[in-house]
Amino acid sequence: MNLTLGIFVVILLITLGITYWAAKRTSTTADFYAADSQLTAAQNGFALAGDWCSAAAFLGFTGLTALYGMDGAFYALGPLVAFCTVLFLIAEPMRNTGKYTLGDIIRSRMQTRTSLLAAIAGTVVVNFAYLMPQMAGAGVLVRLLTGISYDWAVIFVGVSMIVYVAFGGMLATTWVQIVKAVLMLSAGAIILVMILSMVHFNPLTLFADAEQKYGVKYLLPGNYLKNPFDQISLGLGYTLGLAGLPHVMTRFYTVPDAKTARRSVVWVMFLAGAFFAGTTLFGLAAANFVGQDVIRAADRGGNLTLPLLAQYLGGGKGSLGGDLMLGFVAAVAVATILAVVSALTLSTSGAIAHDFYVNWVKGGRVEGRQEVWLARVTAVVIGVLAIALGILAQGVNVAVLVILAICVAASANFPVLILSLFWRRFNTGGVVGGMAVGLASSVILAMIGPAMRGADALWPLVNPTVVSLPLGFLGAVLGTFMWGRDAENEQRFDAFLLQVHTGVASK
Amino acid sequence: MARNGASLEAAHASVRRLIAEKLKFLVPMTIIFMVGYIGLTALAGFAKDFMGTKVVGSVNLGFTLIAFNYLLSWVLAIVYGRIAADRFDPLAAKAASEITRRG
Repeated sequence: MNLTLGIFVVILLITLGITYWAAKRTSTTADFYAADSQLTAAQNGFALAGDWCSAAAFLGFTGLTALYGMDGAFYALGPLVAFCTVLFLIAEPMRNTGKYTLGDIIRSRMQTRTSLLAAIAGTVVVNFAYLMPQMAGAGVLVRLLTGISYDWAVIFVGVSMIVYVAFGGMLATTWVQIVKAVLMLSAGAIILVMILSMVHFNPLTLFADAEQKYGVKYLLPGNYLKNPFDQISLGLGYTLGLAGLPHVMTRFYTVPDAKTARRSVVWVMFLAGAFFAGTTLFGLAAANFVGQDVIRAADRGGNLTLPLLAQYLGGGKGSLGGDLMLGFVAAVAVATILAVVSALTLSTSGAIAHDFYVNWVKGGRVEGRQEVWLARVTAVVIGVLAIALGILAQGVNVAVLVILAICVAASANFPVLILSLFWRRFNTGGVVGGMAVGLASSVILAMIGPAMRGADALWPLVNPTVVSLPLGFLGAVLGTFMWGRDAENEQRFDAFLLQVHTGVASK
Repeated sequence: MARNGASLEAAHASVRRLIAEKLKFLVPMTIIFMVGYIGLTALAGFAKDFMGTKVVGSVNLGFTLIAFNYLLSWVLAIVYGRIAADRFDPLAAKAASEITRRG
């Protein structure tokens, strides 16, 4: 375990060095929230890969495949397909229309304070629902990997994230994500080559061995997701939820124009997609080589599958190669969490400091230097809150929050965003209706479902997206009609469209 | 001001042409990936045995379709990049120049 700690300290020193470098280059609001929009497509593509692959992706997909076969492969495919939605409909309009936050887009379309408030609510709920399980996961993971206590692990992760964000803003967050993505992809490539060399470079052997060892049922769907509608909810949640996740979407503000935003999505689709595809093979290999019993004994949810596989491939427990591989993968897992929680903290700080305080309370009348200072302080406060929530979450079932985050993103943020960009009649009533109905139906259905109540569930689906997403759209449309015609808003839509599709503001 | 108004109108007309052009490609492409992926999850939910049909060795139809979806996503990404550069960008540039030349 000392080797893990050593590799881990090295990664920490690198990220702190990056933060020091970034802090000297971060002085304006545009620097802090959007790295002055100066990133290249490849840089943003790597950063997106680092941002989007949480520990649930890095460790979880491999574990799910190892324990449940095909359902794990479904979990891994969804996050790639999700980028089709983002590429076709969201990335370029985001870059062209907004400045720092999701709230910016709603505000520039509707120009009402009420709609901005609804957008802030959507961002803050999604981000905290995402942040809390990440902190809890960090606590468990760092404790398992290094042996320090849960509370100290959460504090350590929280303090690192506060330092990155408060001092280095988007530039530090971006480079932490890039470093993490490079480490993650390298680990994936090394593991893949080692696996393939063991099966004489014929991946079909992995399937045949798994079938022989665990039976035909192992390679069929439905071992993890028992309810067919949960399969569909998972698919919908991914394909449309990603576009409603503020901490990922704000990455498009870090590039200079729509063309670069587009190219960065193509980058992430190949980088992250290749890794996701790899996790399916890693999972099968782990089931074959390490064995489900050993995997379950280490962690019932299978979250230590990838570290165990790496240890096996390196030469097994106690060997130098095995320890080195285990340490490397474990350290990448921690870097993964750091990269994601930093992005969440930065994005939440944007919603509170930029959207709420500067634009909602002060009507935009805040001096630039003061806004940066506010954003830094807000990031510290959010970080401290995240540490407190992470410590309180110990032993609590946080799985429901993970589902909730993606479900609210798909059911509340996505309908409001897409209708703002494409529907002339959409108005403030629609923003409020969509947010309120999407949020309420996601929260209520997730709370009365099996993820929260287990066998006493009043509602059969773990993931309610298949119902809450249509409800969110319905709320947005009904809200629009109940609000009535807004002639001025509809007239402004031509100018808004011009900006959405060309990036040029007509005023 | 009349000249400005005319130029603004021209820019809005160009944007409408751009949107029509985008819809022509994006609607079918969106339908393709949504049907491909949501269809796959529906099959996984409701047609488990069908998904178990063997294709190559122990690899069944389900895993084959999953692999196909990876390829489909990557192909669509490349195709979109090409179409956007060839067809959308020139129209967007035209609308942008019409609006910035105004006045």
